[in-house]
Amino acid sequence: MSENMISVKGIHKYFGGVHALKGVELQIKKGEVHCLAGENGCGKSTIIKVISGVHKPDGGEIEVNGVKVDHMTPSESIKQGIQIIYQDFSVFPNLTVIENLAFNKVLASKKKFVNRKEFRRIAEEAIKKINFDVDLDALVETLPVADKQLIAISRALLDNAKLIIMDEPTTALTKKEVKRMFEIINKLKDEGVTILFVSHKLEEVFEICDTVTIFRNGENVISCPVSEMDEKKFSFHMTGRHFAEVTEGKKRNLGETVLETKQLSARGFNDVSFTLRKGEILGITGQLGSGRTELSLALFGLLRPDEGEILIEDQKVNIPNPTKAQELGIALVPEDRLTEGLFLPQSIKRNIAITRLDELSNKLGVVNSELLDDESAKWVRDIGVATKNDEFPVSTLSGGNQQKVLLARWIASNPKVLILNGPTVGVDIGAKYDIHNLLRKLASAGMGIIIESDDATEIVNTCDRVLVMQKGQITAEVKEEDLNVKTLANYV
Amino acid sequence: MNLLTAKSFKKLAVRPEFYVFIIILLLSLFIQAKSGLFFTNNNIVDLLRSMTVPLIYAICAYLGFISTGPDVSFPLIAALSGYLATQFVMVTGYSGSIIVVFLVAIACGLVMGAINGFIIAKYNFPSLIVTLGTTSIFSGILLGVFEAGRIKLPESMIEFGQQSLIKVTNAETGLGSSLPMTFLIAIGLYILTYLFLNFTMAGRGVFAVGGDETSAERAGFNVKKIRFGVFTVNGGLAAIAGVCYSVESTYFLPTEFAGMEMIVIAAVILGGTRLMGGVGTLTGCVLGTLLLTIVTNSLILVGVPIYWQKFIIGAIIIVGTAISVIQIAELKGFRRSKRKKVEVA
Repeated sequence: MSENMISVKGIHKYFGGVHALKGVELQIKKGEVHCLAGENGCGKSTIIKVISGVHKPDGGEIEVNGVKVDHMTPSESIKQGIQIIYQDFSVFPNLTVIENLAFNKVLASKKKFVNRKEFRRIAEEAIKKINFDVDLDALVETLPVADKQLIAISRALLDNAKLIIMDEPTTALTKKEVKRMFEIINKLKDEGVTILFVSHKLEEVFEICDTVTIFRNGENVISCPVSEMDEKKFSFHMTGRHFAEVTEGKKRNLGETVLETKQLSARGFNDVSFTLRKGEILGITGQLGSGRTELSLALFGLLRPDEGEILIEDQKVNIPNPTKAQELGIALVPEDRLTEGLFLPQSIKRNIAITRLDELSNKLGVVNSELLDDESAKWVRDIGVATKNDEFPVSTLSGGNQQKVLLARWIASNPKVLILNGPTVGVDIGAKYDIHNLLRKLASAGMGIIIESDDATEIVNTCDRVLVMQKGQITAEVKEEDLNVKTLANYV
Repeated sequence: MNLLTAKSFKKLAVRPEFYVFIIILLLSLFIQAKSGLFFTNNNIVDLLRSMTVPLIYAICAYLGFISTGPDVSFPLIAALSGYLATQFVMVTGYSGSIIVVFLVAIACGLVMGAINGFIIAKYNFPSLIVTLGTTSIFSGILLGVFEAGRIKLPESMIEFGQQSLIKVTNAETGLGSSLPMTFLIAIGLYILTYLFLNFTMAGRGVFAVGGDETSAERAGFNVKKIRFGVFTVNGGLAAIAGVCYSVESTYFLPTEFAGMEMIVIAAVILGGTRLMGGVGTLTGCVLGTLLLTIVTNSLILVGVPIYWQKFIIGAIIIVGTAISVIQIAELKGFRRSKRKKVEVA
């Protein structure tokens, strides 16, 4: 018996001319929670697919339980007890929880007919393993995301999983749900299940993992116990860059009030009053459902307030729609940039320019393409979008760079108030650092900025003042001098 | 009212089938009130007879949507296999069991359906495009290659068409009507489809594939095989409908088939089958078909001109679809407000 659940050595993988994995090593000990971290495109997903037999490696070897496996296939990997929880959870939204849980097992046994009693028995067995409380007859599409994930986990356990690979499992979860999932991971660990936890979220890695391996550009750069890792080392190994402690732009001169709300109420929040000054970065934090998202929608004209006032530069305004909001100098960078912000198949250039087409076109409304080219080139350079050509579709960029494009678009319209909802969700460390710097620069130039975020570190690092929202109301205000991750955690 | 029934009523009330049922009820009561001729034995039998072929077509449309997407080729598969089966009887002079005639048609239909299935499953082309294309090809073969015209059916087939299950005469008006044996075939096919979809793994696979293709593949369903199977079976079902249609009208009418697909698809969608796949019931198919049959058949009883029928059908489709869209939106809104309540509490 080997002490390693799985061990991969010298794995190479090419996709066409791209050398995706350059001889990587990964040793996962039995019963540990092992974190695999790295920025987008570092080869994390590729190695998972090699381990699960989806991709055939172009060199190197895989050992499971100390035994070399020559040809890893998806069914072989399942037989070896390896299960993957995909990011999309691989569920059937249109079917019941029972069927979602039972299909794999029934199909594997090659049964041709449906035995409802057996289905239910399998499903009950599955949810019992993690004490998952759910209505088995409910349709999966009616359940929250966290439950879909728990379905995927309990289904994986049915197959006697020895190694569960979780691909960025916390992306879509609220804090509470993440906590619950960590409890489940610990429980699995106690039962001897090995877990490979793929994530680039620092706090999570430190909280749940025993060992961490970091990939960069298809190579593994470090593998060590979490206890030997710290924040700085982590960022450095992920990006290969050293990040200076930010001091520039931290102390800013605040100007007069640019945005104010008085007793503002709408669906999702009520009686919200606050002010934002020029050059200020105001953080708004709170659990999902605290009303912070609704507040930003109301400020951008996407949600009609029931009561209260919004004032821009001391003028009472009415914001019935986003067009009016933009006229008033309010910009919103939404939470879900993929579905709400960007035109993914369109070029980077067009995505940047869309809010400014009026200015870039002549009287007849025909866009001047030279102006457009200049404008786009300027932003790609200024904001550091990593691309060879701004004619490429936005979908070819990494998460961080997509976010930069979205930011560029709104900054280009030079708003007075910039509202960002989760500005660095799903963005890797390097890009996060760039984005935070950019926001500070903008604030120094006099823009009023509101950052809504769950990420305590982000809030502490960037904001001058923080409002804590709960159940649709502002429950606390934290000034800069009291602002640190711990005090913030107490309020939320 | 006790809680349990209130709850189950709520569950029922969010189903599109429920609304179609209500509309059918209101419409039939309206026609009855206006004409006094709706709930008469001959009208009901007439309705059932008119529904027979659309009901079989509805299974084709339903299976297509559930698993993959629209299948619009069934009327022309019905026409071409019906023609080939008729020719088989005429050329060979076969006068035995009608079952053999059906089997010949089914064999032809399966082959045509398999062509659809092969292209759709193997190359992953959109089913709408593929079936539109094959529809045109089958039509070309029927009218161009075979130069099919109006054919009086051979005796043995007419005989089967004239056997009736029920024969009624309205005592007041003296109008008679009869329900042909083909109605039994439609019922049989619904039972078989129901059993297949609910009690075999392949049947659950049809829903799984329609729900999420990637998940189905990962779970171990053979996605391509299921899609190929569905479209092939659709060919066979369409062929049965084709023969039924011909024996009911005692003639083979090559140009009468095309165009049925739209109204059948409308009926199926109206009955709650989701365009995006994976959701829908056979009950919904029956109710949707019944509603549209009432509109085409019985509105004439209250003096609505035949041209207005299309207008009304269109309106019903839009209203029917709107109801389900509003329902989904409300369902989401309902959840949001529920969450808000929890927060405040």
